This record gives sequence, C-alpha cells and structure tokens, in this order.
Amino acid sequence: MRFRWTILALGLIVAVATMAATAGARVTTTHAKTTTITFWDAYSSDGPEVKRLEKVLIPQFEKEHPGIKVKDVTIPYDSLHQKLITAVAGSQLPDLVRSDIIWVPELANLGVLQPLDTTLPDFKSIKSKVFTGPLATNFWKGHYYGLPLDTNTRIWVYNPIAMQAAGVSAPPKTFAQLQSDSATAKGKGAYLYAESGTSCWNICPWIWSNGGSITNGTYTKATGFLNGPKAVQAVQMLVNLYKAGQMPNIVVDSNGGLGTYDGIAQKKYTSMLDGPWSFSIFASAYKNTQLAGTTVPAGPGGSVSVVGGEDIVMTKSSKNKTAAAEFMRFMLHSFAQTQMARAGQMPVLKSSTKSLVKIHPYYATYLKQIATAKPRTPTPKWPQIDQVFQTQVAKAFTGSETVQQALTDAAQQVDGLLK
Amino acid sequence: MVTGSASRTRAILGVRILILSVGVFLMIVPFAYMFATSLKPNALVLEIPPKLIPHHPTTANYTDAWTSNKFGRYFLNSLGVAIATTFFSVWLSSMMAYAFARFSFPGRRILFGLLLIGLMVPTMMLIIPQFILAKNLGMLDSLTGLVFFYTGGTLALNTFLLRSFFQDIPRELEEAMVVDGAGPWKRYLKLVLPLSRPALATVGIFSFLASWDEFVWALTVINDPNKRTLPIAISLFQGEHSTSWGLVFAASTIAVVPVLLAFVIFQRQFVSGLTTGALKA
Amino acid sequence: MQASKRKETLAAYTFLAPGFVLFALVVLYPIARAFQISLYHWSIVPGTTSQYIGLGNYTHALHDPIFWRALENTGAYMVFTVPAQIVLGMTVAVLLDARMPARGLYRTLYYLPVVTSWVVVSLLFRYMFITDGGLINFVLHDKLHLVGHNIEWLSHRWSALAVISILGIWKGIGWSMVIFLAALQTVPRELKEAAAVDGARAWARFRAVSLPAILPVIAFVTVMLVIGGFNVFISVFLITNGGPLDETQVLLTYMYRQAFSFLDFGYGSSLSFTLTLIVFALSIAQLRLFRRPKDAA
Repeated sequence: MRFRWTILALGLIVAVATMAATAGARVTTTHAKTTTITFWDAYSSDGPEVKRLEKVLIPQFEKEHPGIKVKDVTIPYDSLHQKLITAVAGSQLPDLVRSDIIWVPELANLGVLQPLDTTLPDFKSIKSKVFTGPLATNFWKGHYYGLPLDTNTRIWVYNPIAMQAAGVSAPPKTFAQLQSDSATAKGKGAYLYAESGTSCWNICPWIWSNGGSITNGTYTKATGFLNGPKAVQAVQMLVNLYKAGQMPNIVVDSNGGLGTYDGIAQKKYTSMLDGPWSFSIFASAYKNTQLAGTTVPAGPGGSVSVVGGEDIVMTKSSKNKTAAAEFMRFMLHSFAQTQMARAGQMPVLKSSTKSLVKIHPYYATYLKQIATAKPRTPTPKWPQIDQVFQTQVAKAFTGSETVQQALTDAAQQVDGLLK
Repeated sequence: MVTGSASRTRAILGVRILILSVGVFLMIVPFAYMFATSLKPNALVLEIPPKLIPHHPTTANYTDAWTSNKFGRYFLNSLGVAIATTFFSVWLSSMMAYAFARFSFPGRRILFGLLLIGLMVPTMMLIIPQFILAKNLGMLDSLTGLVFFYTGGTLALNTFLLRSFFQDIPRELEEAMVVDGAGPWKRYLKLVLPLSRPALATVGIFSFLASWDEFVWALTVINDPNKRTLPIAISLFQGEHSTSWGLVFAASTIAVVPVLLAFVIFQRQFVSGLTTGALKA
Repeated sequence: MQASKRKETLAAYTFLAPGFVLFALVVLYPIARAFQISLYHWSIVPGTTSQYIGLGNYTHALHDPIFWRALENTGAYMVFTVPAQIVLGMTVAVLLDARMPARGLYRTLYYLPVVTSWVVVSLLFRYMFITDGGLINFVLHDKLHLVGHNIEWLSHRWSALAVISILGIWKGIGWSMVIFLAALQTVPRELKEAAAVDGARAWARFRAVSLPAILPVIAFVTVMLVIGGFNVFISVFLITNGGPLDETQVLLTYMYRQAFSFLDFGYGSSLSFTLTLIVFALSIAQLRLFRRPKDAA
C-alpha cells in the first residue's frame, strides 16, 4: 500500500517537474497572433551592451511594432561560432544573427543566409546610408548577405596610473619606444603590453604597421607575403618581447593567466590593444580604473590596425522574414545606432559620425585609427586560415619553430586554403 | 610484550589516520577554495596570497546568480529533466531486468549481449549519429528530447544492476504467488518491486546524477536560453574578456550542494550499486 | 503446459519491449549509423548530398598528425591516471579496511569528488592552475619555493596534460577505493588482521592473502578505468579545449571539433568509430588477461 503512494507521489513530481521544464517553451506559443523573432548575438554581458539591447532597444521596437516579439539569445563570443555551425547542422538557426564580420562569407557559402539585396525592397536606400567598408564584409559571390551593424578597430588602450607606476611617462608612439618602454616596465615588475592571443585580430596590426601583409591584393596567395621579411620582422619583435619576459604568457594561452582586463585593473599590465567596448566595460565592471587611448605605435608602414565589427544577417530558414527585416531596419536606424554607441559599439551610419565624439571623447581616436585600418581576408575559409595563423604564430612564440619557419609553413597552408 | 604490542597497534592506527587525513585534506581543499571564492567580491578572486577564508565575505555572487542570471530557471530545468529521466529509466529498466532475470525466451542471450555492448560504449562516441537522430525526430532544443536521450542512455547500466538484484530474490516467493494464480504483472508489481526498493533507489540515484551532471549533449542540442540546464549555464558564465569566477563558483556551489546532500543521505544504496557490478563481474 | 510457456514468452517480450526499443533506437542504432556515416563525405547542410568515399575518412585519419597526437594524448592520459587511481584507491581502501574511528566519514570525504559534476571540477581546476594568482603556483612558488617562477601550466602540452590527469586521478580515487574496500571486506578478517599487526610482513601477507582474492575486481576496475580514460572529454574541453595549438587535443575533443566546428560529420564519425573498436578490443583483451591466473588456479 505504501508503495502505491510512493508511485503516486513520484508521478506527481514528474508531472510538476515536466510542466516546470516545458513552461519556458510554452511562453512563446501561447500568443497565437504575435510573431516571435529570435536574435542570436554575442553582445557582452560584462558591460552595458546586453542591458541596452534588452532594456532599451527591444522594448522600443516592440512598442513600435505591436505583434512582433524579439527574443534575444546572448552567447559568449568564444562559443558563438561553434553554436552557429552546430545550428546549421541541426537546422536550428534563429531568424537573425549578429555575426562577426569574418564569419559572413563562411555562412553565406554554406547556403544558410538570405541574400538581402533581392529580399529587401529598400536595400539600396539602406545601403547608401552605411559606410562602404563595413558593408563590403557582407558581399559574397554577387550578393549582399547582411547589413553592417557596428564597426570597430583596436587602438592602444592603457591605464595611465599603471603606466606611471611602471616608469613609463607616455604611451609608446613607435616600435622603438614600444621595445624600450617594455624593458622599463619589466624593471618595475609590470608588463607594458599584454596581448591575449595570436590570431590575426591580435597580431596583424603589428604586421601591417611594419609594412607587411598577409596575402596579395586579390587574396589568392600568402607565400611571399605572410612569410615576407616585413611580416617576419614584426612578429619577431613581439616574440623577442615575450622571450625577454616583457609580455605576459596569455599571448600563447589566453586561459593560462590573468586576462587583459583583470591585469590592467590590477596594474600588472599597463596596456592592450582593444575596441571601444573596453571603455564601457571598465566603466561598469572596473569602476576604479580610468582608461585612456591612443593610436597603435607606428612602424615603417604607419599605424595600421585591424577592422572588426559585426553584421546582422537573416537566415534562409527564418519563418518570419518580414518581421526580421523590420528589426534589421530598426537596428540600423539612428536611434538604435546611437544607443549602442553609448554602450561602446561604433555605429555604421555615415550620418552618426559627427555626433559620435560627443557621446564619448575616446571615439575620436577610434575614428582616426579606423581610417587606415585593414580588413581581414574575406573568404569562407577564414576561420580555418585564422586557425593556421594562430597556431603557427604561437609556435614562434613558444620557440618550437623560428619565426621564419613558422610563417613560411603558415603561408603554405594558407595558400592551400585560398585555392 | 603485551603492552608493546598494544602500543604498536596504536602507533599503526596513528600512522593510518595520519596518512588518511593528509589524503582527505587534498580531497577537500579544492571544494573549500571553490566555496571561498564564491564568497569573494569579484575584484578579489585572484588575490595574492589566495585566502581560504575571505576577509569580507559577501553573498552578492549568489543573489546575482539567482536573480539576474535566471539561475532559478536553470535549476528547475535540471531538476525537471533529472526527475523525469529517473522515473522513466527506473520504470523501463526494472521491467527489462525482470524479463532477463526471471524468464527464458528465445533471443535472451543475444538481447542481453546487445545490452552489454551498450554498457561498454561510452555515450559520447555516439554523439554524431544521436545528433542526426534527434534532428530527424524533432528533438533538438527540447527538454523532452533531453529526457528521451538521457533515459535511453541509462537503460543498459540500470538493467544490468537490477537484473543481478532481482536474481537474488528467492524464487520460492514467486512460485508461491504463481500457485495462488498471480500472473507475471502481478508478481512484478506486488512482489519484485516492493522487495527491491533499495536497488531501485540505487539505480534511481545513478540516473538522477547522470542526468543532473550531463553536459555535452545538452550543450550541443540546447539553443534556447530558457531551456539551459545548470552545467551549460555554468560553463557559459565565462566572459569574453574576463571570467567572473566568483559567479561561476557561486553557481557551481548551488549545483553541487544538492548532489552532495543526496549522496550523504543515500550513501548506502550508492555504494551497494557500485559494488554490485564489480563484485559480480 | 505449452500454452503457459507461450504466455510466459509473451509476457517476457512485453516487459522487455518498451525499454529495449528505446535502447535500440538511442544506443544500438547510432552505433551502426556511426559506421555508415563514417563511410561518407557526410553533408549535413540541407539540400546537399553526401558522397560515398569508402574508407576515405579512415585513411585521412592515418595521415592526420593531429589525430595521432590526440591518440598519443589519450594514451598518455590513461598511462598517468589508470595506475595511479588503482594504486592510490587500493592504498586508501587498505588503510580504511580496519577498525578505526570515523571510518564512514573518511570514506564519504574521499568519495565526494566522484559525485561532483565534471563541469564544476574542471572549471575549478582551471582556476587553481592559473599562472598568476592561482592557488597551485602560490603554494609551489611563494610558499614552498619549490619552483623559481610561476609555472605556465596550461600553456604547454605536458604540463597541461598533467593538470588534466591530476584532475582525473583526484576525481577517480574515491570510485576505485569504494569498490576495492567492498572487495577487501569479503576477505576473511582474521587473515587480514594478522597481516596488519605483523608490520614487516604486511605487504607479503597482502600479496598472499588479499590480492589473489580480489584480482577479478582489480580486472573489472582496470577495464572500467581504461574505458573512462578513452572517454575523457569534459575536462579537456573546458580546461584547454585542445589548445594551445591542438597540443592537448584528445580523441573525443578532436572528434567533437571536426563535427561541430567544421561540420565534417563523416570524419568525426570515423574517429569515434575507431575509438569504439579500440575500447571493445581492449576491454575484451583485458578481461581475458586477468582471468587466466584464476582459471589456472
């Protein structure tokens, strides 16, 4: 008899638990008349980006468009690419994705993105309002598969107090100063410059500033460029800093030590190269640290940084393309662009440039830097190419290969991928 | 001579306890460190020297995890999935085990052999075909899908354990019921199950833990943040620029404490379940 | 009689059917399916077709240096963790196999890591082994002065594998201990107690009395640990994710990356199917090997 009670109780618990577990799913289906669009992004939850999106932008959009609900799914940047690819495999893509500009060719090539130039009747007018550089990152085999959402580049971001404490009076302006200042900082037990990886995003600014390049102009060949003397020299300079104990080991293993943000807040590192979001993240998560910014130290090729940014893309599988398109337009409108600019996202609207410096003075440096910044190679194979780049440059850092060997090897592998 | 031997015994016992205590210390320190970190404000998580007792403990990480990070939701998801998995797995495997333990039927050896194969293959190796299967069944991104695959994955071990337990139930008891005209269902429900409560508890706990802790499958198939389970949620706390370790370990503590409690309470069943497999192999 | 026999059979199948159908669908069918997929250049994107390439994925693996390194790393993980878990688990079991105060408490504490989720302990170990500010480097460098500088644990292949192995051992000792302890308790107490008092010859007695009695259990534990070693995934995935430079890739992390980062389901399946075969072969070989002395006796 008691046993039957146990079964009954168990059954009850199962029922309750299953209900609790599926309740979340039900929320989206109860309102038959509202359309829900799902939007995946890697907006940073450390800073104000996610809050702006979820507390300001989406409510505003839903107010303007009754009947459309936006479901925001924030995934950490490091996991987003894998999640996207897995969703491609499972046919589980959302309606909209805020994709890193370097993934758009890959996703377009997989055939999962909706070409926008043939889908949006007003594509031409939107196109004319945004910067051409960021727009170009959406172009693949004759079509535009997305719209630029934000753009950015990396500048020299530093903690002036930490820098003073490290015996360096002003940020380095040239490669030569970078080297001597790094030695000075080491003498005071700090690292002048911390870099948290060896991918192109991390290393390419140095190669380009030194006058080197990754491929030829038409993106068909890396040998003779990636392993050319200018590129080798730039990487060699960084490797020398690392070997002299003047750069922290997070460059070869970003998990292995104090992250750039924590290190700069704790005055262990004085500087990093980073985008505008760093300022807003510090303002909210590291309130005691004031950051300053200047252009990347110049080499023989000038001060050349890397173009970053995100595009907003619509998936072919989206069942709510009209509603999704509305949200795209909304995100490209000056209201949304300005709101996100306050959270550290540089707008892509030509009209917003003037007011940008008023929002935050640091944008002046970013605007100056982005004028000369270069994009990474636009190809569907970019994730694999960047993997090769990252692996080979790291080999040079750990000393398992000389810089020349590592880059020559990398160039050969990249040649294969560019074919 | 006698006192000498007694003091020697005591000395040996002392050495025993000393060695064991050092070992226990090493087992426990990481947990203590985890708990200590969960009580530190974020700025101090990598302080030097590391402190096992924080100076200004704060529960901010816990409230933060529970409120602003939807941890309550993830907790319920994990709980719901684990309870449903446990229920279905114990139910289905006890029926299978009864069939294997008490009936002779054509194909018994082959089917049991197949079950043993399932016992040997680690689930992780099947993740690709299972992913495709889940896609075809429409079970991606669904908690029901999690229960379905978790249940299927725990059946082999549970059936194996329960079978050996059922075999130990004296046949005479069942034969007496047969004489009274009881059919197989009645024997299963009225005799075998009630007599096997400890064993059912054992496999129940195993299934619950397996489901509660499962990570890879959920990470791969779940996209909707409202359907995340605790392990995925914890792993996704790692930020892009810095990991909020205090938050990670507050969340971890929330996830681990129920398991530790359950283990301490059901320890006996747990150990018996573990050793059934080993000592009968 | 005949009719009741048929009824029995029918009942058996009824008991068996729901569970076995689910088991067959979720476990058996995927085993076969993994093999099938591994013969294709599998195309998962809707609207594209898969191309049959025979054993192409397998020959690809043979020429893939990262596959070999992953195999090596998986092997290294087993070499590090399996003997250590057996020896340490046995040591603790032997020490606990006596009349002593708080025995149950000790057993519980040793077992705690076993029931703790892999995700939690992996993140915990990553945190403890952080180069600057981590607990381990603090103890080794600042406290004990055993090393001259903070060790960059996760930046190098072997030190990173060491961290992952230490985690595996730490988490696994309790499991083998509990099983060994249960096995030791089946050995007659008088024999063991004589051994305990007679310190000098304790080891000899252990070898003569306890060890032979629990040999089959050791075989079982070894098999399970080896299978567990091949199954290492979460710790690697969360501590190094195969990095730096694929140096710490193990078979399952490499398989996972091939499938879910590069969409190469065919190659991924060939890796996991290979692994399944190795696991089978090893378990069977080990069982045979350990059974022989008992059969002979």
